[in-house]
Amino acid sequence: MNAVFPTPDAADSQRLLSPEELEAALRDIGARRYHNLHPFHRLLHDGKLSKDQVRAWALNRYYYQAMIPVKDAAVLARMTDAALRRIWRQRIVDHDGDHEGDGGIERWLKLAEGVGFDRDYVLSTRGILSATKFSVEAYVHFVSEKTLLEAIASSLTEMFSPTIISERVAGMLKNYDFITKDTLAYFDKRLTQAPRDADFALDYVKQHATTPELQRRAMAALTFKCNVLWTQLDALYFAYVAPGMIPPDAWRPGEGLVADAAPVRAAAAGGKMTAADRPRLPRGVRLRNDETRGKYVLLAPERTFDLDDNAVAVLKLVDGTRSVADIADELGRTYAADPRAIEADILVMLDGLAEKRVLER
Amino acid sequence: MNALTPNRPAVPAPVGLLAELTHRCPLRCPYCSNPLELDRRSGELDTATWQRVLTEASGLGVLHVHLSGGEPTARNDIVEITKTCADLGLYSNLITSGVGGALAKLQALYDVGLDHVQLSVQGVDAQNAEKIGGLKNAQPQKFAFAAKVVELGLPLTLNSVIHRGNIHEVSGFIDLAVKMGAKRLEVAHTQYYGWAYVNRAALMPDKAQVDESIRIVEAARERLKGQLVIDLVVPDYYAKYPKACAGGWGRKLMNVTPQGKVLPCHAAETIPGLEFWNVNDHSLGDIWRDAPAFTAYRGTDWMKEPCRSCDRREKDWGGCRCQALALAGDAAATDPACSLSPLHAKVRALATEEAAETPPDYIYRTIGSNVRSPLKEEVDS
Repeated sequence: MNAVFPTPDAADSQRLLSPEELEAALRDIGARRYHNLHPFHRLLHDGKLSKDQVRAWALNRYYYQAMIPVKDAAVLARMTDAALRRIWRQRIVDHDGDHEGDGGIERWLKLAEGVGFDRDYVLSTRGILSATKFSVEAYVHFVSEKTLLEAIASSLTEMFSPTIISERVAGMLKNYDFITKDTLAYFDKRLTQAPRDADFALDYVKQHATTPELQRRAMAALTFKCNVLWTQLDALYFAYVAPGMIPPDAWRPGEGLVADAAPVRAAAAGGKMTAADRPRLPRGVRLRNDETRGKYVLLAPERTFDLDDNAVAVLKLVDGTRSVADIADELGRTYAADPRAIEADILVMLDGLAEKRVLER
Repeated sequence: MNALTPNRPAVPAPVGLLAELTHRCPLRCPYCSNPLELDRRSGELDTATWQRVLTEASGLGVLHVHLSGGEPTARNDIVEITKTCADLGLYSNLITSGVGGALAKLQALYDVGLDHVQLSVQGVDAQNAEKIGGLKNAQPQKFAFAAKVVELGLPLTLNSVIHRGNIHEVSGFIDLAVKMGAKRLEVAHTQYYGWAYVNRAALMPDKAQVDESIRIVEAARERLKGQLVIDLVVPDYYAKYPKACAGGWGRKLMNVTPQGKVLPCHAAETIPGLEFWNVNDHSLGDIWRDAPAFTAYRGTDWMKEPCRSCDRREKDWGGCRCQALALAGDAAATDPACSLSPLHAKVRALATEEAAETPPDYIYRTIGSNVRSPLKEEVDS
């Protein structure tokens, strides 16, 4: 049996585990089978995936996100205790939001849009792999059919998600120039929501798994859930990495995208410029010496910016290769001033130009 | 000679030149800013003349050239003209409908150094947009054109002229701009000159619709900060103060018509008695400084009360001369869009009244039409 479903030693034991032993056994399941270990995730976080492969992930994962409230509603329907329901229903609120435009599903849609998808295409779920749908639906059926304890235990993958989220956000921001912090806003919320949910679920399982059989079932439920996540990545890997067999009707690169997703990076609305950024003037913005008026001006779409001498000195050094820190260092040498003070000043100025969309990084 | 006229106000150097390369256009928008009497192809300036005009403009201090029309890409030499702008260091802005041959020329325009594209969109819903523009199948062409602009890495501005036929689509225009990857959106309420004046009753929205559109734009500006810049032009008839038309008469901009007449603004020909000079007869510098049409309303000497003693006289320069003529019957009057004009209440009442009625059908723009401006009749009689 172990060959098919390897489980921790504790799970094989016929004796009742202490609550601490049970927690350790549950955590051990995650340590060995949570999907952060899947090769697809390693590629994702290390920046080894192409933009289209990241898109395939974002699209398929949307189906999982969209079904989470359905799953939680099924769990909720089985709870006879109002106090329990009050706590659990928060998960639905977190995902659906309190109003249109709010909530985790919406934030995932933003992520999908952020990598170039047309919102309506994502909502239609047309291009999603059948394997993704099968495993997500298996999860919904599982929580409807098994005991409430197993349903709750199956949610315990949330214990492991803060690790993967931190890895993912850092890795993706570092490695993909089309990913912005805004695009990944979904994960900001989950960093606080997931541990809160997991704490509650873990306590519940520790309290209610009071026999060896119930403990065994709780562990099996968590194992099942890890498999739900893992098989989704297997399917992605098979279709979009190797051997690259995309099933009929599944999304193919180029489909379902808006006209062009290139402005995403430029539209990093939330993020301020940092010293490490390398600003550049995009096409259609030019620094020009206006000989008639004896001054430099910044020419931009249907407007002209008058510049003071400091701004001119900075913009002459803005070339897409120098970082803000480099520019500050160079000006510091030229004007015998403290580069870090200059840096603070020019960050404000450059942010102002970026907000007007005449500067990019 | 300048020494003999010491009191003449100093002439500032022009900043922008609107080059109306042709009046030909596949669209027939009922608010077109071109005059009712459209120039024909046979009378259009040739390539070499446009190149000379651009060279002179650059020498005068012009920084921005707006390549407009009609549809500027309808000219076979649009790429050559754009290249001349680039060679002279002039910032080139293509103001286009994106239909017809526009897409086919885009790559070449990019290659010679085009700086910016302003694409008109008549509506969000394709059926509505194509009714307004008077051209079937225009919308998909515009979308394909926008996609190519963004793919090339050119900055894209969407221009939406707002009126009662599309004012319900303002938030849709904003979403469309974001979706297309535009950096700027102009939400420009119709200005009622030329064809728009003829079609005013079909176009005028009511005050509540205008207020709602402004609210939508202001909310979107906040939400889309750093992603989309939205410029808003509010409708004059409902405003408190008028616009500084063209940044003040003969102060910043000039407009060269397809046949070479140089105007202080695109509607200036509606003012009877003004003498316009042509680039075929004079250098651009002479025209800018001395042409009677430019000196007529430059500065503040021509002003009457209440403009003459108004604190805002060098802010809005008395508003729009063409509108003053159209609504007050006197081009030197205060623009009735101004709340200080004695006619302001009447103008607003007129707008309110028209907006409340069932809109008449559009009178589409067309070359060689028999449409006469009601304005001309008023003036003639």
